[in-house]
Amino acid sequence: MSTLAARSLADEVLHELREVVGDEHLLVDKPARMHRARVPAPFPVHRWARHVPDAVVLPGSTEEVAAVIRVANRFGVPVVPRCGGTGLTDGAVPLRHGILLDVKRLQFIGEIDTESGTCVVGAGVSMLKLNEVLGRHGLFYPDDPASYPCSLIGGRIGTSGWSLIGSRYGHTRDLVLSFLHVLPTGEVVRIGEGGGPRISKSSSGYQMKQLFMGHQGTLGVATEATLKLYPKPEAEFSPFWAFEDYDTAWRTVRALAQADVATFAGAVLFDEQKVAYLRRDDEAYIPQPENLRALVCSALYGNEDEVTVGARRLMRIARSFGARYLGDEISQGDWAARHDRYATPLHGRTTAGQVVPMSWHCEDAAINWSQLPAVREQWHRIVADLRARSDVFDDWGMFAYTSARTGVDYLTEIDVGIWEQELDDERWAMWVDAKREIARVAIGHGGSISACHGSCREGEVDVVPEELGGAYEVMRTIKRSLDPGNIMNPGKYGLDGVYEEDLR
Amino acid sequence: MSERPFSYRRGEQVVPPPARRTSEVTVMRFDGIYEVDPRLMRQVPQQPFPNWDTLRIAHGREDHLAWMHRHFARAVISGERILAEIAASDEG
Repeated sequence: MSTLAARSLADEVLHELREVVGDEHLLVDKPARMHRARVPAPFPVHRWARHVPDAVVLPGSTEEVAAVIRVANRFGVPVVPRCGGTGLTDGAVPLRHGILLDVKRLQFIGEIDTESGTCVVGAGVSMLKLNEVLGRHGLFYPDDPASYPCSLIGGRIGTSGWSLIGSRYGHTRDLVLSFLHVLPTGEVVRIGEGGGPRISKSSSGYQMKQLFMGHQGTLGVATEATLKLYPKPEAEFSPFWAFEDYDTAWRTVRALAQADVATFAGAVLFDEQKVAYLRRDDEAYIPQPENLRALVCSALYGNEDEVTVGARRLMRIARSFGARYLGDEISQGDWAARHDRYATPLHGRTTAGQVVPMSWHCEDAAINWSQLPAVREQWHRIVADLRARSDVFDDWGMFAYTSARTGVDYLTEIDVGIWEQELDDERWAMWVDAKREIARVAIGHGGSISACHGSCREGEVDVVPEELGGAYEVMRTIKRSLDPGNIMNPGKYGLDGVYEEDLR
Repeated sequence: MSERPFSYRRGEQVVPPPARRTSEVTVMRFDGIYEVDPRLMRQVPQQPFPNWDTLRIAHGREDHLAWMHRHFARAVISGERILAEIAASDEG
């Protein structure tokens, strides 16, 4: 089977796709295809045409998804699954054209089982819409990415999403109990803990759930999920504290995470460059005094009495480090805004201070607490070098988020503004080189290239074999075995290589 | 804004209040609404907004954030209240 796709699909392929999804749900017009070529992360807009799919299909059921993939296998055409298109590692960006499989029509909310605290939903449902319905039952699905209003359940599975309040409730891998999954050859299987759809821990058979999460569409498509639900929290507490230096804020965030407060949902460390960026452009921080150079925020969710007790403990801990509470207005407003970062219009500055339109990109890694200062220093140096060479890049500072309640490791990100309209091959190459450097710093400090977004974008993807070592060979073997035709999202994670070896 | 309710005077809407400087890079025309200093908007000029639209966008943002709190939890615990309780407890 060829690993290459034709630039336009043969009439025979289009005919078969039309037979599966109906004429209304097969889109070949230019706008429909152009709009599904990219995600919100910086994109080589000067090379847009390289990423445009040949056709878009919007199947309405698991059976239709499976039938589309079987058609693709018969004709050797790539399939790229797409949900909300909010991922930041290009999982939904076609590298070989082909069929763009958009799951947004799978937006049903099925059985809500209040006895076991679970529900069944289609891959095209957003967490916000789901929680509007669950709220009527006093229930809550606590998967909370920065794209909360617009990302979809299927994408959360395909990318193994990270949640802002994951230190309390776990991340997508913990909250999705099982899902229907269409394999790269078109068979439909249930993936979960053992065979029961609502089981949270099984020791029966291989533990496959995590294998079929976070594969960025290279191992098939999730179409329907069974989710674990929680009671809707009675109370929220989201304090923001100011510090005069990064080191004190860094020590405070560890103390908060290790305080063992049961309702602790997360803590975030903002570094000095992030504060400088906020003071420049964020209404909450523009009036803050110059001695505010680092920030920490935290969030608690749960029963009101328990949150109140935890709040007192965290407030005392922060005060013991000399923190200044920023007040209810900033604390509550800024925390609420963190559920919806994709709605924020973005601009950056040239070195002369002029405002220019920039898209937001964050390089993320999983880093242990002790390594955060060293990684921070090296990452800023890499981005400073980029900015010194081109006004296309702007350093927007760094965050470090607790990934787990004990603060064992942190989703660490450096936010970089990129002036996309000014990108060309030279500047794009600068960016890709910088991404490799950023990834290597993370690995060099015992971390992982990504805690959240994935690592299959141009640049850092070259470093994945260095990170995974022998496990990368296992990954190649799995891909080759499950997707013999290299149909699913070909080119991602450098996995084409295994098929090229076959040809040789 | 007009002091006459239920009236609309275009002239009142297209002329914003005078700007006052709030930092090296921002100005403020409406209370609580920061704007980038126009001197820094030469490459991408600020599009004109009628006054009512500027206020609508700012208030809409506040509404959205309040909605988000209600969406995630039934009540929000005040940090200022917690601090006051700690202070009272320490004094006691």
